[in-house]
Amino acid sequence: MTEHLLTLALRVLIYPGALFLIFLAFLYEWVDRKFLARVQNRYGPLYTGPSGILQPFADFLKLLSKEDIIPAAADRLLFNLTPIAYSTLPLVALLVIPIDGGEAVLAFDGDLIFVMFLLTLIVVTVFLAGLGSMSRFSIIGGVRAALQMLGYEIPMGLALIGPAVAAGSLSITDIVRWQSTGLRWLILLQPLGFAILVCCMLAELEYVPFDIPEAETEIVAGWRTEFSGRKLALIRLGKDLEVVLASALLASLYLGGAQPLYSLPGSITFLIKTVLVVLLFTFLRGVFARFRIDQMVSGMWRYMVPLAILQVILVEFGVGR
Amino acid sequence: MTKALSWARVKSPWLIHFNTGGCNGCDIELVAALTPRFDVERFGILLEGSPRHADILAVTGPVTLQVKDRLLRIYEQMPEPKYVVAIGTCAVSGAPFKDCYNVYGGVDKVLPVDVYIPGCPPKPEAIIDGIVKLIQKIKGEESRG
Ligand code: SF4
Repeated sequence: MTEHLLTLALRVLIYPGALFLIFLAFLYEWVDRKFLARVQNRYGPLYTGPSGILQPFADFLKLLSKEDIIPAAADRLLFNLTPIAYSTLPLVALLVIPIDGGEAVLAFDGDLIFVMFLLTLIVVTVFLAGLGSMSRFSIIGGVRAALQMLGYEIPMGLALIGPAVAAGSLSITDIVRWQSTGLRWLILLQPLGFAILVCCMLAELEYVPFDIPEAETEIVAGWRTEFSGRKLALIRLGKDLEVVLASALLASLYLGGAQPLYSLPGSITFLIKTVLVVLLFTFLRGVFARFRIDQMVSGMWRYMVPLAILQVILVEFGVGR
Repeated sequence: MTKALSWARVKSPWLIHFNTGGCNGCDIELVAALTPRFDVERFGILLEGSPRHADILAVTGPVTLQVKDRLLRIYEQMPEPKYVVAIGTCAVSGAPFKDCYNVYGGVDKVLPVDVYIPGCPPKPEAIIDGIVKLIQKIKGEESRG
């Protein structure tokens, strides 16, 4: 019994739990910045560690050591709690996604719904963070985040349901297992769902075509304007973890997740797939420009929702399962 | 530990850019320093929108009567430790606008300036050189204190 608890604690805290995921978060931020720089014909971070690989870590450390200002007008409780919530929620969601080949750390039946719930909760945290800062830029940013969620939440839910219907299970671990029997990757069976989920994840991550809540050319830094020092460090870490979460979700639901392939163990294929998804995100955010908030919401309702419903209907009629 | 902190501080200086009333020449050069040709992100330098996120206040232009309060407010909104760079002859001394009725003069009339970058406007190379000098100054401070 104690042995079981000990392994569980190790799995939650070290591998494939918190420590490993934070390491991945920093690594993927570097991959993202470096590749974005290459897309824009630049070099990106170069002198911090080999090829700048330590840059995200240096930023994090620097922010931790800076002064932590709480504006006089801010709501202290919300202002103190939201950065912590924002950085832990993606971490919790990542624990139900299988990373090292076998089961996820906290796998249970219906964890797909749990992840959907946490994705929404992250946006609610963002909204509260904007509200709690009590500055005009933060509030506009927070409201925009909530408004944006109204646009992409429905198609995202539908795109997450497609694989669940095909595999006949609401557990991510089961969906991954279903795909690994006979290499039935869902991206081949439901390409439409994959495309929709990529778009919605870009919106969830506030990446460029949908970086409306933190549009720095319009509203300074959006909902994170007032955060400084270690709170900002936590928010940046949370954002990086969210990138890991989004790529892990896409890799698990549509690309076969952490399955052993030829002689590669599951964790290596998982890393390769998630890095590919991160590169896709970065490429998209490198080549697009920002939408207006009304364009984003009405576009989502006009095109994404019908397409997502079409995908679910197709799956129901047996196409793509 | 302090060594790691000073390393991190030296490796990730984030800028906020504020024009106190210059002619926009310096601003274009500062933005040019961020373009692919010069790409200051190589040194970990990022341009931030919010003063709360930044370490270095990059001021261009002379301080006018109107802008003085705003400049001070932005400076006070930045978290410690913070540094100020005066970019362009205007920000250094007031230059062509020196004795205007509505101008205080250089930035050092109202704020402690760490590095002066003269030129009208200074080249992007000069701006990068100035910021590298500031980084060396931070390094020296850290190793002494
Ligand atoms: S230094 Fe020259 S270029 Fe720069 S703001 Fe002043 S007048 Fe314009």
